[in-house]
Amino acid sequence: MRPAARRGRRRARTSSPPLSATQIRWLGALLVCAQLPQAPHLPLWVAAFGLLLVGLRLALLRRDRARPDAPPARIPSWTLVLFAIAAALAVRASYGYLLGRDPSVAFLYILVGIKFLETRTVRDGSLLVALASFLLVTPFFTSQSPLSALAVLPALLVLGATLDVLARPPGHASERRPPQALARAGALVLQGIPIAALLFVLFPRIGAPLWGVPGETGAQTGLSDTMAPGTISELSLSDAVAFRVDFDAPPPPPVQRYWRGPVLSRFDGQAWSLMPRPGTGNLTPWSAGGVSYEVTLEPHGKPWLFALDLPASLPRPAGDDAPASADAGFAFLARDQQLIARTPVTQVIRYAQRSMLRDAYPQADAEEAREYLRLPLRGNPRTTEFARELRARHAGDRELVGAILAWFRAEAFVYTLTPPLLDRDPVDAFLFDTRRGFCEHYASAFVVMMRAAGIPARVVTGYQGGEVNPRGGYLIVRQSDAHAWAEVIVDGAWQRVDPTGAVAPSRIEIGLSQAVAAGEPVPLFARLDAGWIKNVQLAFDALNHEWRRNVVGFNRDRQRELWRDLSIDRYAGWQIAALAGALALAWAGVTLALAGFAQARRERAQALWGEACLRLERAGLPRMPHEGPIAYAARASRRWPQFAIAFSAIAESYAALHYGPPPARPGEHEALVATLARAVDVLPGAAQLRATAA
Amino acid sequence: MTVRPASQVVPVAQRAALILRELARIVVGKDDTLRLALTCMIARGHLLIEDIPGVGKSTLAQALATVLGLGHARIQFTSDLLPADVLGVSIYDERAGGFRFHAGPIFHPVVLADEINRAPPKTQSALLEAMEERQVSIDGQTRKLPDPFFVIATQNPVEQIGAYPLPESQLDRFLMALELGYPDASAERELLAGGDRRARIAELPALADAPTLVEWQREAAALHVAPALLDYVQALLAASRGHASGPGTADAGARRGLSPRAGLMLLNAARAWALVGGRPMVLPEDVQAVFGAVASHRLAGGARAGALLAHSLLRSVPLP
Repeated sequence: MRPAARRGRRRARTSSPPLSATQIRWLGALLVCAQLPQAPHLPLWVAAFGLLLVGLRLALLRRDRARPDAPPARIPSWTLVLFAIAAALAVRASYGYLLGRDPSVAFLYILVGIKFLETRTVRDGSLLVALASFLLVTPFFTSQSPLSALAVLPALLVLGATLDVLARPPGHASERRPPQALARAGALVLQGIPIAALLFVLFPRIGAPLWGVPGETGAQTGLSDTMAPGTISELSLSDAVAFRVDFDAPPPPPVQRYWRGPVLSRFDGQAWSLMPRPGTGNLTPWSAGGVSYEVTLEPHGKPWLFALDLPASLPRPAGDDAPASADAGFAFLARDQQLIARTPVTQVIRYAQRSMLRDAYPQADAEEAREYLRLPLRGNPRTTEFARELRARHAGDRELVGAILAWFRAEAFVYTLTPPLLDRDPVDAFLFDTRRGFCEHYASAFVVMMRAAGIPARVVTGYQGGEVNPRGGYLIVRQSDAHAWAEVIVDGAWQRVDPTGAVAPSRIEIGLSQAVAAGEPVPLFARLDAGWIKNVQLAFDALNHEWRRNVVGFNRDRQRELWRDLSIDRYAGWQIAALAGALALAWAGVTLALAGFAQARRERAQALWGEACLRLERAGLPRMPHEGPIAYAARASRRWPQFAIAFSAIAESYAALHYGPPPARPGEHEALVATLARAVDVLPGAAQLRATAA
Repeated sequence: MTVRPASQVVPVAQRAALILRELARIVVGKDDTLRLALTCMIARGHLLIEDIPGVGKSTLAQALATVLGLGHARIQFTSDLLPADVLGVSIYDERAGGFRFHAGPIFHPVVLADEINRAPPKTQSALLEAMEERQVSIDGQTRKLPDPFFVIATQNPVEQIGAYPLPESQLDRFLMALELGYPDASAERELLAGGDRRARIAELPALADAPTLVEWQREAAALHVAPALLDYVQALLAASRGHASGPGTADAGARRGLSPRAGLMLLNAARAWALVGGRPMVLPEDVQAVFGAVASHRLAGGARAGALLAHSLLRSVPLP
């Protein structure tokens, strides 16, 4: 086929004008800006490959421009289709599956690059902008921090500028300097902020998301429903924030900050796991000395909610005034005093909570005690033997507990994040051979000994301590604060016992970094001596907390709360929606009115000029259709020399208004209009002019 | 270079007025033509004068070059003129033992190409390409022409026998085509009464120099053009192509209308005209003033018919 014929067919197929080199470069910049925020969340090869595709298109463009006579580089569409299929297979191989959130995002990431390779017309370009804006949303699947929001800002600006450049004829686009286009986009974004803020605050929120994004299992850190040696020490290596707490009063001392989480009662010789029991527990009665606070919980994919030992209320979603009853509400209290939400925590939630700082609560029924005595038939013989021995020596339960704790203190136990591996009979090996362990080792060993000695006991996991951020005065609880302790029935009540406290008291009183030996891999932010880095981090965390509370966590309840503060909550949702719509319309109206005002000023100049022309026409000197203002004024001045100054003033000021550069100083325009108006005033009426001429 | 404040435009206009006054003492009675010639120069364009010999074409070129402080050369085109006679030639130098380039007359800021239609097309196109690209390639080496570079070519419309008239596509390379015409009676009287004009050229003061002219060219290019004026220029272009449907539209224009490049040149010329007139913006009057000179040789049927057509176009297109 001859090239001309082929070109003709191509033109027939795509009526949209072709993209100029500048427009293609803008699109390339937009794609890179949209890809970069997502790149860190992707496998390295995907991140590099997507960027490479965009680079390839720009390189081809460069080649085309270097050889303007050669036909433009084209990659056949069928190649790109094969390419896309290959990319899909590679993503599937990399992730193990394709139909999920993360592989789909990775595929989209590559796909925009492939689409860019065959983007030639302005219509393709608009489609690419839409794809890029969709890609821009995807980093928020993984993180909704202020930094992620900041990371997409450049892309937003470039997106606006690209739309601007796409909307203009190609010749114009190449004249346009990038800073100008960016400034225009920035101005548009700034103008949009009030409307966006208004809608953010006032547009009624729906209680649940419209659609669920399938979460990725295993991606979130947090306490799990089992505990084997090493579970919690692994967690302790993470800097990630578990939750943040705002107290109504100053926070209680570290020793009292036991954040109760999953209670593990079943032991198989190696690991502890949950023992779900029907029914609900009894709340500790609220009285003086209790603490009330608000928890902002990071998503962890499990239903546990955390509260200070012991919860005195059910968690109440922030902003909800209705008293929570036991069977309604979004969480309940299990028999083992554990707060459990009705759905797993997959997004940031905030709830108000009250607790009594007690370390014991009455046993509900005597029946349950037997459940907490079970031990595997085989295993850990030395521990069992040792416990029976102690039992024989100490008659009272309380004495026995004290004796074991004293034994822990006396013997050479080491509290460490890097305990040796224990395979068979881990409790025996730990207690009598290695004697190096983390809190889960101590809690587990302690509970096994208690059960062997005939005292009902169980392991409680959760967090202990936390750090008060001096900026904002709230408490940060990190994964590195994860902890495990024991509960035993003594004198008819569940009593908290923390064997770790016997071995390493500073873990409980100060924190992890004080409790382990120097050189252990304590996470950076769990250290207390990190200096300015720590300060910067705390300041950033304060910002993050506010962001979590007020932007990401701005759900229906927060919105209701804000409406109450603004006292607009007595209106129905639709009324508020109407109000928001009306305000947005009003804002748009103001913007249009300002534009219209400028228009009116221009029109005023036009009207004054028209009036002068009409007057001269009636006086017998019509303006010729092609006559410019200066030429017309000159002709009029020849007819009526006595008004030459007025004619010239009218013509000069009108010409400056109509053909002149935009005003360099504010007020210049108004001054010209005023001059024009005065000069027209000076001009006598048509009849008088006729008379003077005659 | 951005939009210049009005205060800087006026000095240019004052200097331009001085220059025009000096020129008017040499080329008598042709004020508008002189002004257009200066405008053409400031708009970085080349000038074609179609006229009979003896009306002062050479005088105009020499006077313009002298008063602006630029060097000039004259090439008399003949039927045996070769491109090398215009561009220059490399000659073997025995003493140096190599070729040495002898620059042709084209390496002058102002070049008067007299009776360009007498030379064969090959030589014509050598000159015209140099005008367009402002550089020449000789023996595989590219040499830049001086900046500013301004060609005044003349064409004799009467003696067309044995001549090679410029094809219309080549005419497009001249920004303006003018006719000097006979002087009117009083001007001719003054010419006859005064002495030798050529001798008086030598006494002219140099009122500018090359860098100044380049600066003016830049200022002209940066002069503000309002959307309303662009509307007007577009209306003129459309009317020249017979697109306009208004009353009195010249149908003859449909035969060969103004190209987009002609539109750009029209704007450039209007900008330069406004600068010479001391205005910080371009008005329809400026466009109208240069329209005849810019458009007539680009429209159908030779300069004379084109001039008439341009005039009727101007009258038929109302200001938007």
